[in-house]
Amino acid sequence: MSANTWLATGNFYTTYKQEQRTFSTSLDRTVFTFFLLMLFAWPMFFHLSNKYMLVIDNTLIAVVAVMGLNLVTGFAGLISIGHAAFVGIGAYTVASFCRTMGDTHIIITHFWPVMIILSGLVGAVFGAIVGLPALRLKHLYLAIATLSFQMIFQWVINFMTFFNQGQTISVGRVFWFTGKVGRKDHYLFWYFAILVVVIILGFGFRNLLKTRYGRCLIAVRDNDRAADAMGINPGLTKVYAFALAGFFAGVAGALHAYVYRGVGFESFTLHESIGYLAMAIVGGLGTLNGSFWGPVAIKFLDLQMEHLSEAIGQYMPSNMNLTTAMKPFTFGLVIVLFLMYESRGIANWWRITKSYTKLWPFRY
Amino acid sequence: MKSTKILAALLVLVVMFAFTSTVNAGGKVYKVGLSLAITGPTSDAGNPYSKGVEDYFKFVNETKMLGDDTIDCTIRDDQYKTDITKRNFEEYLDDGIVLYLNYSTGSTLGLKKDFEEEQIAVLPASYHAGNLDDSNYIFLPIASYSDQMVGLSEYVVKNHKGGKAKVAMFIHPSAFGRGPVSDAVKAVEAGLNMEIIEVVEHGKDLDNTAMLKRLMSKDVQYVISHTVQSPVATMLKDASRLGLAAKTYGEEGKLTFLGAHYTGGNDLIALTGAACEGFVWTTSFNLTSEKGEGTTKQLELAKLYGRDAKAANSHNYAAGIMVAQVTTEAIARAKAAGLEITKQNLADTLNAMNGANAYHPYSTIGPVTYSKTDHAGVDMLQMYSVKSGAFKKLGAPMQSEYMGKIK
Repeated sequence: MSANTWLATGNFYTTYKQEQRTFSTSLDRTVFTFFLLMLFAWPMFFHLSNKYMLVIDNTLIAVVAVMGLNLVTGFAGLISIGHAAFVGIGAYTVASFCRTMGDTHIIITHFWPVMIILSGLVGAVFGAIVGLPALRLKHLYLAIATLSFQMIFQWVINFMTFFNQGQTISVGRVFWFTGKVGRKDHYLFWYFAILVVVIILGFGFRNLLKTRYGRCLIAVRDNDRAADAMGINPGLTKVYAFALAGFFAGVAGALHAYVYRGVGFESFTLHESIGYLAMAIVGGLGTLNGSFWGPVAIKFLDLQMEHLSEAIGQYMPSNMNLTTAMKPFTFGLVIVLFLMYESRGIANWWRITKSYTKLWPFRY
Repeated sequence: MKSTKILAALLVLVVMFAFTSTVNAGGKVYKVGLSLAITGPTSDAGNPYSKGVEDYFKFVNETKMLGDDTIDCTIRDDQYKTDITKRNFEEYLDDGIVLYLNYSTGSTLGLKKDFEEEQIAVLPASYHAGNLDDSNYIFLPIASYSDQMVGLSEYVVKNHKGGKAKVAMFIHPSAFGRGPVSDAVKAVEAGLNMEIIEVVEHGKDLDNTAMLKRLMSKDVQYVISHTVQSPVATMLKDASRLGLAAKTYGEEGKLTFLGAHYTGGNDLIALTGAACEGFVWTTSFNLTSEKGEGTTKQLELAKLYGRDAKAANSHNYAAGIMVAQVTTEAIARAKAAGLEITKQNLADTLNAMNGANAYHPYSTIGPVTYSKTDHAGVDMLQMYSVKSGAFKKLGAPMQSEYMGKIK
């Protein structure tokens, strides 16, 4: 490496260790640290309404879920159409405790970090179980297996009285060192909590990819027979890819339960699974930062289309049905356009932007 | 120089506009929010419902029913998703609403704790009895689905000739559908002379032949539905095609169909045509197919705001008008009592809406009565039956007898 650690240009890796670093330059690290600080600091300077705090919380939860989906689909190459069911497993883990012990039990309200981790673990167990068909199935057939898990999940929740037949199961308000988190601070509190989870899992994800376990995922995705010949166990790799995805999804589900203070069946339907898949595609499959871009883009698009249809609907009330149909239409259109013209997703635009600035001040 | 003049002119215009707005505002503005499914599942009901709410509040403001004060009701589509309903509700709270109008059963149950914490009166379009459990602020506009199902069961028993009436329940595959069944079972246990042979949770079947034949094989004579219109329409058309539908009420060896609020209405007739002749339906709203003072006012309101015949004649349009009427009445009464229009004062005003203070909106068949212990608005139910392609009244409004026994 050159003595100047602030610029990428002119620096060449001489060891594998250097190549594996999270930040290639000090500038990268500084900018990223500053960015993180800004994420924590901005709510102290700008007041955002509860509605938009809820939108941001919801987007961050989707980031956690899509990170899991990206691991299994983007990195391990295993298509999962039942991701919302895994998220549901996490949410219903919290709901199950609420049903058996009451939604204001100390375990729910005070030990919520434990509940979130536990939900992730339950998600991982279910992920591993659903991943078992991956030992024998591939491609479309595996996709159908995950779809059937989605269907089983929906059926069980919808019919079991323990799960309130899909109707909302309440989750109590949590406590922090300052006391009970009231209604006024609820969404802001959870913004910080989810942000911490996103950062921890994000770094965990990034570091996993540097290890042999992370490289196994990519090797199995690219050619599982070749991976097998190299000494990798493809079956085990596939199962743990599903387990990891289940863990991320389970954590996202628990966060969803706490933010919405309730768990209802309709947040974990097939439609939501397709939504997560769309976020992963639009963000960029097989990239970490794609897991951030995708949810942000889709949630932002959703919200803007809602506003647009509402505005048009006010001026043309007779065309209300047409204008409100714009939302699902644009959702589908965006996915098709990305698949056709930018299959590597928004993450590729980020890559191009970064590579353009990488050589600065030398263009070539 | 020219641009300075334009800028100055614009500034004058802005100041004039701001001043004009202030003058126009005059009285106070009371904010109300409605979140419902204008698109997505059940939007066929949500769409006319939102028009009813919108038109009535427009009428209130234009005719100065509250003097210089006005009601500003924001209506947002939630696509029947609780997550979006919650977001809309948070936005309305940020805007400072004094009363909230909700829609679905799922979101009403999902947001119940929020309503309690905010101490805000809520009028949902869901008449699920479970909405009232552990709730002080949810006010059902009309009799609950349980009241309707038990009321229909009582109607069956009262008009059945012979021994014990054999009944099947055709319900929506959700808690919304299942909830009232347990109350019907309790009514039977309490002595209602009928037998529930089967409870069918419908799927998305396009053909009900097998189900209808099975019910016939079990000697079922009455099918009471509690779901939405389209599955009922499919069932009625199949029964008609197979020649299984009773030509007259309670015809032996045939099936007589009955249904609760969301199964009927003009949309059902449009979907089924002649196949729904004789279908017995219950609701607490006046229907435009039965001329009266209330329905004339409903049609006039729809005409005033250029609504088409479909919306104008919809009972969901009437349901939308009704919740807007109750909201307006609560505000008017609170004002008359010299109270500040706040969330709590409106909830208290609603709770005092009983006895001599009962409210008689033109959209319903009976008075709206609320108290601290009774949060179901219109207690009366009207039976209707399809005759020559229109819903016609069957007797006088009634109230479920057995619901009082099993509560």
